[in-house]
Amino acid sequence: MYAEVLTRVLTQVAVVVGILLLTSIALFVGRGRLVETAREWRSRLRATAPAVAVLAAVLGLNRVVRWRGDEIEGAIGFHMTETFYDLEGEFVLLFQSIATEELTAYFSFIYVYGYAFLLIFPGIAYFALSDTRTFRRLLTAYSLNYVLGLAFYLLVIAYGPRNVMPEELTVTMLYDNSPEYQHLTREVNRNTNVFPSLHTSLAATVGVFAYITRSSYPYWFPVAAVLAASVAISTMYLGIHWAIDVVAGLVLAGVCVRLSGVLVGRQPVARFRRYLDRRPTPRDDRE
Amino acid sequence: MHRQSTTRSNGIDRRSVLAAGVAGLATATSGCIDRVESAVGQETDRLSLSITTVPADGDREAVRIARHLEEHLEAVGIDASLDMRSRSNFLEAVLIDHEFDLYVGRHPADYDPDFLYETLHSAYANESGWQNPLGFSSMPVDGHLEAQRRVDGERRRERIATLLEGLAEEKPFDPICFPEEHRVVRTDRVDGWNADHPESRHGYLGLEPSEDVDRLRVLVTDARISRNLNPLSATLREQGSTINLLYDSLATEHDGELVPWLAEDWETTTIEETEDDDAITRATVTLREDCEFHDDEPVTADDVAFTYRFLEDTALGRAEFTSPAPRYRSHVSTLEDVTVESDRELRLEFSAGFEAAERALTVPVLPEHRWREQVDARAETTETFTAMQGQWGLVTMDNVPAVGSGPFRFESRSEREHLTLERYDDHFTRREDVDLPSVEIEQLQFGIDPGSASSIERVANDGADLTASMLEAHALDTIPDEPEIDHLESPSQTFYHVGFNARIEPFSNPHARRLVAGLLDKAWLVEEVFDGHATPTATPLPEEWVPERLTWDGDDPITPFFGSDGDLDVEAARDAFEDTGYRYDDHGRLRL
Repeated sequence: MYAEVLTRVLTQVAVVVGILLLTSIALFVGRGRLVETAREWRSRLRATAPAVAVLAAVLGLNRVVRWRGDEIEGAIGFHMTETFYDLEGEFVLLFQSIATEELTAYFSFIYVYGYAFLLIFPGIAYFALSDTRTFRRLLTAYSLNYVLGLAFYLLVIAYGPRNVMPEELTVTMLYDNSPEYQHLTREVNRNTNVFPSLHTSLAATVGVFAYITRSSYPYWFPVAAVLAASVAISTMYLGIHWAIDVVAGLVLAGVCVRLSGVLVGRQPVARFRRYLDRRPTPRDDRE
Repeated sequence: MHRQSTTRSNGIDRRSVLAAGVAGLATATSGCIDRVESAVGQETDRLSLSITTVPADGDREAVRIARHLEEHLEAVGIDASLDMRSRSNFLEAVLIDHEFDLYVGRHPADYDPDFLYETLHSAYANESGWQNPLGFSSMPVDGHLEAQRRVDGERRRERIATLLEGLAEEKPFDPICFPEEHRVVRTDRVDGWNADHPESRHGYLGLEPSEDVDRLRVLVTDARISRNLNPLSATLREQGSTINLLYDSLATEHDGELVPWLAEDWETTTIEETEDDDAITRATVTLREDCEFHDDEPVTADDVAFTYRFLEDTALGRAEFTSPAPRYRSHVSTLEDVTVESDRELRLEFSAGFEAAERALTVPVLPEHRWREQVDARAETTETFTAMQGQWGLVTMDNVPAVGSGPFRFESRSEREHLTLERYDDHFTRREDVDLPSVEIEQLQFGIDPGSASSIERVANDGADLTASMLEAHALDTIPDEPEIDHLESPSQTFYHVGFNARIEPFSNPHARRLVAGLLDKAWLVEEVFDGHATPTATPLPEEWVPERLTWDGDDPITPFFGSDGDLDVEAARDAFEDTGYRYDDHGRLRL
């Protein structure tokens, strides 16, 4: 019976995000790139396979550790709820003063649907570019976000504002207004994983990439920027994250984008290997 | 030390043992850090207190009480902070490690006031578990706790009144309110819901499922039910609701009195306390015929005798020190002698009046063949068998699958998702000649749904039949008004309270406890936090036990709130602290 609710929510998310994706592909990617992608998809897939595999492995690891994390966390983690609360106090309640029913509906939609769309669409859009580097960089940046985020989750045991200030947040609290989402978020996360906000860091990562690729996708950049900002605000508006988590998420995004640029070369790993294979054996005196 | 006794476990429980050990370690170290900080921090001599509680996901009302208290502690110049723990880590910190200054929580209490003996008697101050987690010790209170055990009826009521007065003065903990228990239930698939508390042994008896219905879909907010079925675990449940379904006890509480359950009958004779003699109660207990555990082994008087011996020392005398169970500690403490007369008959002798003595009949009867084997296996694998009290492998293991003799047997579980029990067809409640309604429903599935609001929604959408956990007050107005949905309401014996750690400063001093009690506006909390769905109280026992002097008159009669309507009169409160001997520095901070 637990699975039923989850399936219903997941289907709902899949349908909505699917519609958003189809519309955006038509609007931003365009016919020309799709035709080209249809022709070249095999070689692009080969070129990007390592980055895809790494992300898949990271997501798998992420899932296991987040659920089994309580034991590790118990051993090495620090209880930080009070520290965060002391540092920023009731800052997130600022958003309560502007709360309206429409805003709550908007941010709830952004937190669940907007976020999923924001993460998936760049994957499609950058795969449709003939140069695979941006796509590989994006996936690498995602992987880094998860790995680094996970390390912090194990170190920092903290509950979000909704768990500390339930009364002030009743108006906007996501799970009071839309209880069904609790099944979804419970499936992917635990309530002590708040620092940093991965919602924020991944959304900001997408935002920075949208800026970098604004010459290829000029209209996507403003859309991504608005969505990414909305996601970051939604986490505080809905009482899920502290402002500190959001700031840390932004820093994490910066680090990950930067690192992805260093780690991901202009040549895909596969082609580089072929190049090595074809080269004559290096002489001893080289380097 | 603790590890040694648990390294060779049977695979079923190793992970949970390890987890509990690791969690214990972590809470212990973090506690140390807190203490070091408060000792060497920049405000060296400022009084700083940490309020341990669970996050809103665990108990929204508790967090709100904790914040109310935090705010008022800050107002009187104390450096207060919240220490949030998950439900099991919270109990670990309070019951096992005793690493707290003060906490906000809900006590499960019991049907008989004797649970106070367990909670407060100084003899238990050094044990881990539900026995005296506060480290409270007071000669007069010990005396009152013992005195109420020796007599019955009106004389006992008088002594309990004296006890309550003693507690109201000394404040080992400050009771805040008794919440109302609210639940919702669908009546179109399963009917026959009666006045019985759904969390009691009688709760699932006599339900009438429609023809094609074989499973009752029950929602609980607490995922711990899917992780652990050990009847002795102190930290993985507050009350024993699932344990009551899996295990039988000799007698069970129904409508405020004990009725026969696994015992067909019992006879007691009591010699009440005379001039200098203790009271003595002798009971002859006869078990029902042909009862079996879920593994087809017979339930005998030996199993009952074993259970009593085991609860007193879970190491069965094989360890250097005795290792009393972290639960049911006071239930068996009046028991002096057990004699097995035959397979079905045993004689018990208690050093108490029958009211206190009879609590011993309510402990779950454990199968000797399974638990003795566990003790032996653990004792043989270590050279120095210590069986650390309240924490060793046997009392923390997950005990899945649980084997009892109760009306339901373990079927399956999936951690954090569900626990499924199936009807035990050989249970005595199914017999024609037993005067109890039988279990008709074939399966009970306890699904985990962490939110009160989402639980109500699922019952409304026909995704579940019953919310078994108490619904939180804030979600009650979302209960739909539909003919097939019933709203069950019952008073609770459980009570919210603030517990003080009497082992350490400042709460080793009763005056400090009383002052902090005066910072709580119970009437306001009931109105604001519970939306009126609770009864404020000055005592841990319901009205029928409360003496005139302690009855609620709009405020706590002994430690009234310093202020009104939730607003603290800071001047008055600070004056009270000064009058008691506390000093403030130039910045208005309370000095240690």
